[in-house]
Amino acid sequence: MRQEHFIVRHEAEWQAFEQWLDARGARPRRARADRSWRGLADEDVPAAYRRVCQQLGLARRRGYSPQLVARLQELMQRGHALMYRPPLPRWQRAFEFFAADMPRLVRAEAGVMWAALALFAIPLVASFIGVQVKPELIHTLMGAQQVAEMEAMYDPAKATLGRAAESDLMMFGYYIFNNISIGLRTFASGLLAGVGPALALSFNGVFIGGVAGHLQATGHGDPFWRFVAGHSAFELSAIVIAGGAGLRLGLDLIAPGRRRRVDALVEGGRRGARLCLGVFAMLLAAAFIEAFWSSIGWIPAWGKYSVGGALWALVIAWLWFGGRDRHAP
Amino acid sequence: MLDTVREVHTPEGVALRLPAAGPVPRALAWLIDFGIRMGLLLAASMVLGAFDKAGMGVYLLILFALFWLYPILCEGLFDGQTPGKRALDLRVVSSDGAPVGWLAACVRNLMRTVDMLPFGYACGLVSGLFDPWGRRLGDLVAGTMVVHVPKSRPLSVMAADGVMAPVLPLRPEEQAAIVAFAERAPRLTPERQQELADIAAPATGAQGGEGVHRLAGIAHWLLGKR
Repeated sequence: MRQEHFIVRHEAEWQAFEQWLDARGARPRRARADRSWRGLADEDVPAAYRRVCQQLGLARRRGYSPQLVARLQELMQRGHALMYRPPLPRWQRAFEFFAADMPRLVRAEAGVMWAALALFAIPLVASFIGVQVKPELIHTLMGAQQVAEMEAMYDPAKATLGRAAESDLMMFGYYIFNNISIGLRTFASGLLAGVGPALALSFNGVFIGGVAGHLQATGHGDPFWRFVAGHSAFELSAIVIAGGAGLRLGLDLIAPGRRRRVDALVEGGRRGARLCLGVFAMLLAAAFIEAFWSSIGWIPAWGKYSVGGALWALVIAWLWFGGRDRHAP
Repeated sequence: MLDTVREVHTPEGVALRLPAAGPVPRALAWLIDFGIRMGLLLAASMVLGAFDKAGMGVYLLILFALFWLYPILCEGLFDGQTPGKRALDLRVVSSDGAPVGWLAACVRNLMRTVDMLPFGYACGLVSGLFDPWGRRLGDLVAGTMVVHVPKSRPLSVMAADGVMAPVLPLRPEEQAAIVAFAERAPRLTPERQQELADIAAPATGAQGGEGVHRLAGIAHWLLGKR
């Protein structure tokens, strides 16, 4: 068939389909509410789309002009985007992810998670004990100025804990930007063969352990522990999970097993990115607690410690039991 | 690596052609977005500067949102287009040609952290050069690609005085070339039209302006106007 006849015969169909796409394609909800639509009926759209696909195939095969093929291709592409678009996100799905999928993902990667925990906890404990035994070791970690600042921050005589006169809102912004960026970077640096997360985890372990040990040894322990009790549950576990996900990424790079390296990376990256979403949410919660709860000075120690303990129990129970009932092994 | 068009075979059995975007338009789009983000940040800092320390906190929150959430939200809400991508007619799509979903948008933008390593998107650039469809690592992981949005033009064929049959029998690709000429000619200068028509002189048997007219006539004949 000549191109001109082909166009004359099908032009009306194409225009009807195009008008439908323009008017009703973009916003399905609003389109359903609109009863005055007189064009192509919604239920006929899949059939119209398939006809456009068939006509595009014909046009290509018969060597019709590039312009016509381009036009049909555009129609088809818009139709395709509509037919195969991903489902709209639902709040229930987000809830399911945090309640069940996230702990399941963590447990599925138990090996690297334990490794990340070891890389973090062993240096932490070692440096804590080291500073207790030989107090001068703290000066290998930080300068005298920093030590003095830290001691001032956790001065037992102060009304607020853990900071100078900054406002809560300012510190909230700071924690969010700083901590989440650190968490995501810990994960991403796993692409450097896993060296990045290993270094980040052990360095953080040594540093935090050293600080805690020094404050404990110099009698600033009480305000320090009261300050960190609340947010540590989310913050420390999030850093360990981000580190574990990073280690996984590094392993996929150096030991892809029987898969192609790119496939292993893609799979690892997809899992890692989902874990990152969880880490993101955990660090958000931690920043919230750290900014608006941890610094309150007047709450007695037992109040702080019981909230901290409850949060730790919550996080551990969440990671251990979350999502277990559905796909029981 | 040379043919950057990805052909996806849809369930309807027709190839969907996705023209992959290379590093240069993507970098330009990123620069435009970067400018927009910097502008917003500057405006925020001027307003929030009046509010001392609480203002500083809000400023840091905005910095965070612009850094991490801006691309995710734009791509999720505006069908895979940030303002920069819109300016350069680019779009993020799923590798099977479907629109990008929220999870994929999150993944590909979180993975920017990796693509930026060790500096200036070097990882992303290397990955883009090795991948046949110019995908950076974040795209590979999220299963997405950045494509050029096709620009649609109205179908208009160059007018012809009369319909004429070609002097020689023409092969199918030659016929397609002549029709394509007639469709593109209205947007070309007369000199360029003649220059192109001279190449087809054996088929029309004429040079210059006459060749253009005859070529238009042949195109109409091929299109079926007899």
